[in-house]
Amino acid sequence: MWKARVFDAVGIAYLFLIALVVVFQPDDMAMLNLGRNTLLAILGVAIGFGFSFGFNGIGLKTLGEAIFEPPHKKALAEPIPWYKTFWGIQLATLFVVTCVAGVQVTQVSLYELTDPDGFRGAKKILMSLFNPEMSILPRGVLAIVETIFIAFMATVIAVPIAFVLSFLCAKNIMGGTPFGFGVYMFLRTVLNVTRSIEPLIWAIIFTVWVGIGPFAGMLGLMLHSIASLAKQYSEFIECVEDGPIEGITATGAGPLQVVWFAVVPQIVLPYISFTIYRWDINVRMATIIGLVGGGGIGTMLIQYQGQAMWPEVGTLALLIVIAVWAMDTASAYIREAIK
Amino acid sequence: MAEPLLQIKNLEKVYPNGMRALKGVSFDVKPGEFLVVIGLSGSGKSTMLRCLNHLHDPTSGSIVFKNEDVTHLEGKKARDVRRRMAMIFQHFNLINRHTVLSNVLMGNLSRTNSLSSIMGMFSSEAKEKALGYLDLVGIREKAYVRADQLSGGQQQRVAIARALAQEPEILLADEPVASLDPATCHTVMDYLEKVNKELGITIICNLHFLSLVRRYATRVIALKEGNMVYDGDPKNIDEAWFEKIYGEGAREVHVN
Ligand SMILES: Nc1ncnc2c1ncn2[C@@H]1O[C@H](COP(=O)(O)OP(=O)(O)OP(=O)(O)O)[C@@H](O)[C@H]1O
Ligand SMILES: [Mg+2]
Repeated sequence: MWKARVFDAVGIAYLFLIALVVVFQPDDMAMLNLGRNTLLAILGVAIGFGFSFGFNGIGLKTLGEAIFEPPHKKALAEPIPWYKTFWGIQLATLFVVTCVAGVQVTQVSLYELTDPDGFRGAKKILMSLFNPEMSILPRGVLAIVETIFIAFMATVIAVPIAFVLSFLCAKNIMGGTPFGFGVYMFLRTVLNVTRSIEPLIWAIIFTVWVGIGPFAGMLGLMLHSIASLAKQYSEFIECVEDGPIEGITATGAGPLQVVWFAVVPQIVLPYISFTIYRWDINVRMATIIGLVGGGGIGTMLIQYQGQAMWPEVGTLALLIVIAVWAMDTASAYIREAIK
Repeated sequence: MAEPLLQIKNLEKVYPNGMRALKGVSFDVKPGEFLVVIGLSGSGKSTMLRCLNHLHDPTSGSIVFKNEDVTHLEGKKARDVRRRMAMIFQHFNLINRHTVLSNVLMGNLSRTNSLSSIMGMFSSEAKEKALGYLDLVGIREKAYVRADQLSGGQQQRVAIARALAQEPEILLADEPVASLDPATCHTVMDYLEKVNKELGITIICNLHFLSLVRRYATRVIALKEGNMVYDGDPKNIDEAWFEKIYGEGAREVHVN
């Protein structure tokens, strides 16, 4: 039940910290004092644990308890309306407090939203977006073709690499020996870290490495695609049926033959489907990556945006919408058809 | 008396989780026998077959195959023993997305190098033979149909053809008819009998129904909680033995 305790403790610590801010109204200097604030947070968690165990001691069902209790207990719970339960009140309190704090932090302001000057500016941009400047269309088309090729190359290079990696990070293939398990853990970690870094960041790193342009964008996308595809592929490998593997092993086939004849037929379709989907995602991401100098239409867009040339931006935005919509639709139809 | 084909002595299997599935089983198998293994669910029948062809590694004891100790083998040697002891399964274990013929050709994998098998290059001789085996189990006309389009009984016959393509000396069958209806059950058992009688392949088969045992077995062994409790003629399994194998108050179920 430690998950429930930790959950409640963190929740209570959070309320405690917000209460401190409300009561003491700290200035910027005080907010930036990371060392002291960390201590306060730890104190909050400690208090939280105290309350959490306390509530549990007097038999109150806290939110953490309600979330993490095992299924067989959940099934036994009496149906009480949530607003009459302790955990319901706890959830509502957390939600309302977070909404109020959120309004403060994101500086939501109806005044700004309805300010006539600002509104006029936005209207001007919107109007010019809908009055695209067609003279840059030819260059825009070339740029979007470049973007689609960036996405294509990133996907095509990523697929075989991810294919091989996916076997090396599938638990059912590698889990048998300590060495295999070591490789599995190592690759999993590397791929998870790679994947958790956005392609945008990778593209920035590569623009420094190979210079601004489509090559940097392609490399960034490719790296992210390898990590994502390897993860998705390996999940399919992990849920293949054992029967065919046993059947082929029993014929005296070698390990490579077992993989080819018993595993591969079970995973080709999901592999193809996810690969097409990945290309589709990559086209969308390639436009964004262009914004940081990864080439293609994104790079062009950010240049016009910097000069506030809105009709030109409108043209490019239109092209992106058409390209993404086309890729999205095509990929959805193909994936549906081969299922 | 003929030289034993397989000599199993004190075979033990302890699974990694500590489960002792076999607790010292010993018996000989003579060439040409149709040996049936019976016993309650969980008595260790599947475990025993899988130890024989090294799908599982036995913990201790010994397996002698034609005077050669094959108890602990790895790599190429283990694969060679698997080829000589083909196996069929309760759930057929075919490759659904491949054709029937392609499934049967997979019986040749241990004798084809990895690269040519992956390119799908099997000799025309192997193909001829594969079609011949399909003929033997009566479904040659299904050769180019996808395996998952067939009924359960037909799939099991394809599995038998795949096993035959291995040109085995022994055929292990783990409850080959347990997921089939009674009529289909007999068809498949009849083909096993044909393989046994016409090709002279020794059969070791796990079965649940005593009526099938009496009809097909030339000899029976019974397992109970990992120990062998009976070894003999199927005709001699009477009421008393039945209760000993299956426990007090068990009733026989008939399949016709
Ligand atoms: N891979 C495994 N790991 C751990 N224990 C296992 C494994 N396979 C089987 N066992 C256990 O070993 C015992 C014997 O199982 P086995 O499958 O050999 O029985 P069986 O006689 O074939 O039963 P059934 O008639 O149900 O097929 C059972 O208690 C089972 O739970
Ligand atoms: Mg079994």
